[in-house]
Amino acid sequence: MTGFAFALLLTAALAGYMMNRQAAVTLRDGGQRLHSLGMFHGLYALLAVLVPAIIIVLLWLVLQSTVINRLVMAGLPDGVLDNLGSGAIQLIKAEIQSISQGRVFGDPEQWKMDAAERMNSLRAASGWLMLLVVAAVSAAALFVTRRSVRAEFRARQAVEGITMGLLISCSLVAIFVTVGIVLSLVFESIRFFQMVPITDFLFGTSWEPQIPIREDQVAAEGAFGWLPVILGTLVITFVAIVVAVPVGLMSAIYLNEFASKRFRAIAKPVLELLAGIPTVVYGFFAILTVAPAIRAWGASLGLPIAPNTALAAGSVMAVMLIPFISSFADDALSAVPRSLRDGSMALGATRAETVTKVLFPAAIPGIVGGVLLAVSRAIGETMIVVMAAGLIAKMTINPLDSVTTVTVQIVTLLIGDTSFDSPKTLAAFALGLMLFIVTLLINIVALRIVRKYRELYD
Amino acid sequence: MYDINRAESAVTQQDIKISARNVQVYYGDTHAIKDVNVEILDKTVTAFIGPSGCGKSTFLRCINRMNDSIDIARIEGQIRLDGQDIYDRKVDPVQLRARVGMVFQKPNPFPKSIYDNVAYGPKIHGLARNKAELDEIVEKSLRGSALWNEVKDRLLEPGTGLSGGQQQRLCIARAVATAPEVLLMDEPCSALDPIATGQVEELIEQLRSQFSVVIVTHSMQQAARVSQKTAFFHLGNLVEYGETDDIFTKPQDSRTESYISGRIG
Amino acid sequence: MTDQTNDAPQASHGWASPEFQNRLSRRRRSEAILKGVGLGAILFAFLMLGILLWTLISGGTQAFRQTHITLDVPISAELVDAEDPSRGNYRNVMNEAMQVTFPDAEEGDLRALSGIVSNAAQFEVRDRIVADPSLIGQTITIKVPVSDPYDQLNKGNVDTESDETMRRLNDAAIGWFQQLQDEGRISKPINWALITNADSRFPELAGLKGAIIGSFYALLVCFLISFPLGIGAAIYLEEFAPKNRLSDVIEVNINNLAAVPSVVFGLLALAVFLGWFGMPRSAPLVGGMTLALMTMPTIIIATRAALKAVPPSIREAALGVGASKQQVVFGHVLPLAMPGILTGTIIGLAQALGETAPLLLIGMNAFVTAAPSTPLDAATALPTQIFIWADSPERGFVSRTSAAILVLLGFLVMMNALAIFLRNRFERRW
Repeated sequence: MTGFAFALLLTAALAGYMMNRQAAVTLRDGGQRLHSLGMFHGLYALLAVLVPAIIIVLLWLVLQSTVINRLVMAGLPDGVLDNLGSGAIQLIKAEIQSISQGRVFGDPEQWKMDAAERMNSLRAASGWLMLLVVAAVSAAALFVTRRSVRAEFRARQAVEGITMGLLISCSLVAIFVTVGIVLSLVFESIRFFQMVPITDFLFGTSWEPQIPIREDQVAAEGAFGWLPVILGTLVITFVAIVVAVPVGLMSAIYLNEFASKRFRAIAKPVLELLAGIPTVVYGFFAILTVAPAIRAWGASLGLPIAPNTALAAGSVMAVMLIPFISSFADDALSAVPRSLRDGSMALGATRAETVTKVLFPAAIPGIVGGVLLAVSRAIGETMIVVMAAGLIAKMTINPLDSVTTVTVQIVTLLIGDTSFDSPKTLAAFALGLMLFIVTLLINIVALRIVRKYRELYD
Repeated sequence: MYDINRAESAVTQQDIKISARNVQVYYGDTHAIKDVNVEILDKTVTAFIGPSGCGKSTFLRCINRMNDSIDIARIEGQIRLDGQDIYDRKVDPVQLRARVGMVFQKPNPFPKSIYDNVAYGPKIHGLARNKAELDEIVEKSLRGSALWNEVKDRLLEPGTGLSGGQQQRLCIARAVATAPEVLLMDEPCSALDPIATGQVEELIEQLRSQFSVVIVTHSMQQAARVSQKTAFFHLGNLVEYGETDDIFTKPQDSRTESYISGRIG
Repeated sequence: MTDQTNDAPQASHGWASPEFQNRLSRRRRSEAILKGVGLGAILFAFLMLGILLWTLISGGTQAFRQTHITLDVPISAELVDAEDPSRGNYRNVMNEAMQVTFPDAEEGDLRALSGIVSNAAQFEVRDRIVADPSLIGQTITIKVPVSDPYDQLNKGNVDTESDETMRRLNDAAIGWFQQLQDEGRISKPINWALITNADSRFPELAGLKGAIIGSFYALLVCFLISFPLGIGAAIYLEEFAPKNRLSDVIEVNINNLAAVPSVVFGLLALAVFLGWFGMPRSAPLVGGMTLALMTMPTIIIATRAALKAVPPSIREAALGVGASKQQVVFGHVLPLAMPGILTGTIIGLAQALGETAPLLLIGMNAFVTAAPSTPLDAATALPTQIFIWADSPERGFVSRTSAAILVLLGFLVMMNALAIFLRNRFERRW
């Protein structure tokens, strides 16, 4: 049905284009002076058909299943859903859905079969209705635009107006995404804070989001204090930054000051390779190679190292961040004006002295911006920690121990089946909100520093 | 090309500080400096003049080996400082540059305090044994650059906050602080207003009493005002070299005459 | 040089004195140290890359071959009814085949023996019989994968010297396998199943077909959404946007969006696409939509850079002959910027291909044994498949994870190579 709808509106759009263009050409051949070329009259009709119809079809497709589900669930016989938790209702919904798609397991009750049938008939009806609406809208658009073809009609301006509107909406999507992120996080978090007091979340030192076994248990058994989780995040971030910053800075200094052109031409892209490797690969690397290596090293020193120590996740994350920091520092060093380098060299400073005493201090704002962005990346990095860090939240700053992170908790709380009303699920959104706020603040500061720094030497 | 006897007669009065013999500079395939011979005297201001692109700045940068950092530049011939070839393998450019200071076209103070700008050279070369000595060097250098009275109350403020002329004098103080024997100046006034230019020119006149100054300038009036010796470069050749008065009043070469009278350039 | 006496602000220094020479060599030494440390830092990064790649290649190449066994399978009419061959007892058919292969095996060993052959064998036999029921009563020859422990044995990953109780195969099992090898029944052909099979619980059968198709659908959706939206936004911001607060807000927004952690996009998708819109879980369509939101900032930034690189002279020339601003942009500037835009888009899509966390949250880590046929079917993607396999305990999945990563990296290399090719081939320097 969707395919039909698209075919219909494409045909209508093309027909409108041909029709209006032909009409305009006829006017011109009839001796009138047109304001706009025939093509623009055609394009005007094309856009007038396409834009509203496509918006309708997309909205329809997005909303259709929700509306149908609501209707079906509302139409169930009285009493069958009484005394059922939302999880059970979800299950029934899923069962009806799969019956309606022809996958029947066992012997479902008759009312489920009826509901599935209703669902199918609603779907069919919705499809036809959509087709009808598209046809009506297209026809209306064709009628209106056909009447607009006159010599003095400014078709080009009209087309450009529509195009401009489309371009503006494209840029507004970026805002909608941010608004969507904020709204969805805040909305779910508010529901979470209705079950768990916000002070418990912000200042609690224990994080044990067990699944409540019965509905009435809710959060009574779980503890949702995020402090140990963010502490674990910071421990791993710290390990990553402590390794990545010196290595990244030093390699940038070498590439910028000492490396020959040829070495630089090879080394830079190879470093970038590290940045292009997906994080899931780093995670696998951490569990397969790095964690055992670190444990073996610890055992040889007699150190008690947890199997999923923060060191493993942190150091692998550092490898991922090296090219990031290195390229930021490289850019910052290159942005220092040549005249400062010359000034220092002309005073008889060595290259090393020039770098450490003049270029590096001058580049510090840019480098700090880069390091901050790296910190925000490390805090938000997910796959490496999901695979290599622990699950149990502990109030510890010992990097040899196993810690968990905000992102690990988000993923583990949401993996598998999710229903939107257990505190366990909603806690993930509260963590997500905190993660978003923390990284956003760091990013804003970092981007501002970087931008200021660029202005300084431009 | 120029009257070699005249140059040599000057030697009897003053020491030769720098002598260049058959210097060639290539930038990749371009022959930028062609067979330049020149002798620069101690405690004298020598001006390099000529139309832009004539190689005067390139040659200046050869004297403290600032061209070393340009990969494609290649230098042949000999430049001797006090009789020692500065392109000899035994000469460390770092040490050479401490002896041959340089001031650039655009003032380039480091983004540090005024004090740290001046103390930079003495610190890296270890010229002061303690803080008191360093303070003394900084003060002397700033006095020597006629900047002391203007900045003595704000030594810890950033050097980049000074006016253009002050910045350039700060850069001169920075160069003077390492106690160089030669000071190279690459169009030091081209970015300055007339008043600041006057101050810098006055300063150059004072500096002459301490060491040899070589100044590249595109302004003939400036060359006439500040220098005792003038060299005219054209298309990579050193066309004429002699007493400044002679060059400006009775040039030997027709190209020099054309340039001075405004026909080339 | 010797000390000079003159009335300089400071006395000139004895540059040749031992004190200064020592200092100079000390300074040169610290320069060498800095240089060495810098080189060391780069080499450390290279070393890490080297270890990473070596781990993957040495572990992954094994999975590109799979141990197969060639068996003669007698199809007895007792076990398979000619009327309805699809309902035959093929498990027992396979047991009989093992009995034929090991005539002197005892009754008690049979269970262990049938464990040599992969679980897939009975289905393969069934499919052949269903296709040709006349085979009932005859003996057919099949070539099927062996199960994972024996595959590992054949690839030399089992230490036969170690304590018998500590390994999954006892000495008797190793003996049987040796016997099969001696009979020439064991071979190790290229493991096409890695590409042609979908996921499976059994490592020897698990393949990437579902993940590759899932990733393809997701990237297709991602491209269809982010490419037009990204270009539209970039054109507006670069060419038309007035300098006002709204433009500033959009600008800051896009920069920040590019730095939002990917898992947050997963939360957005989970709450909005699945929760509010009720779209299907685990669907590549939803995955693609999520990835599109993340890729859009990359495409916008790349497109703006490409538009900026088109020299103003071209715009002025076109405006000068009376074209409207939009005609100039769409007719002249955009085509010239296209190579740059495409390069940026491909790089953005390559990033999206490796993105894992948001896909986990919308359920694209489901265990799906069939490749999706539409973007609405439940599926995995390459990175989530890697995540699933990396989590699986069977030994065979370790090397399969590495192999899957190599496949993923292969796609990434191809995409980046295409981007570099486009840039070198079409991008003009102005």
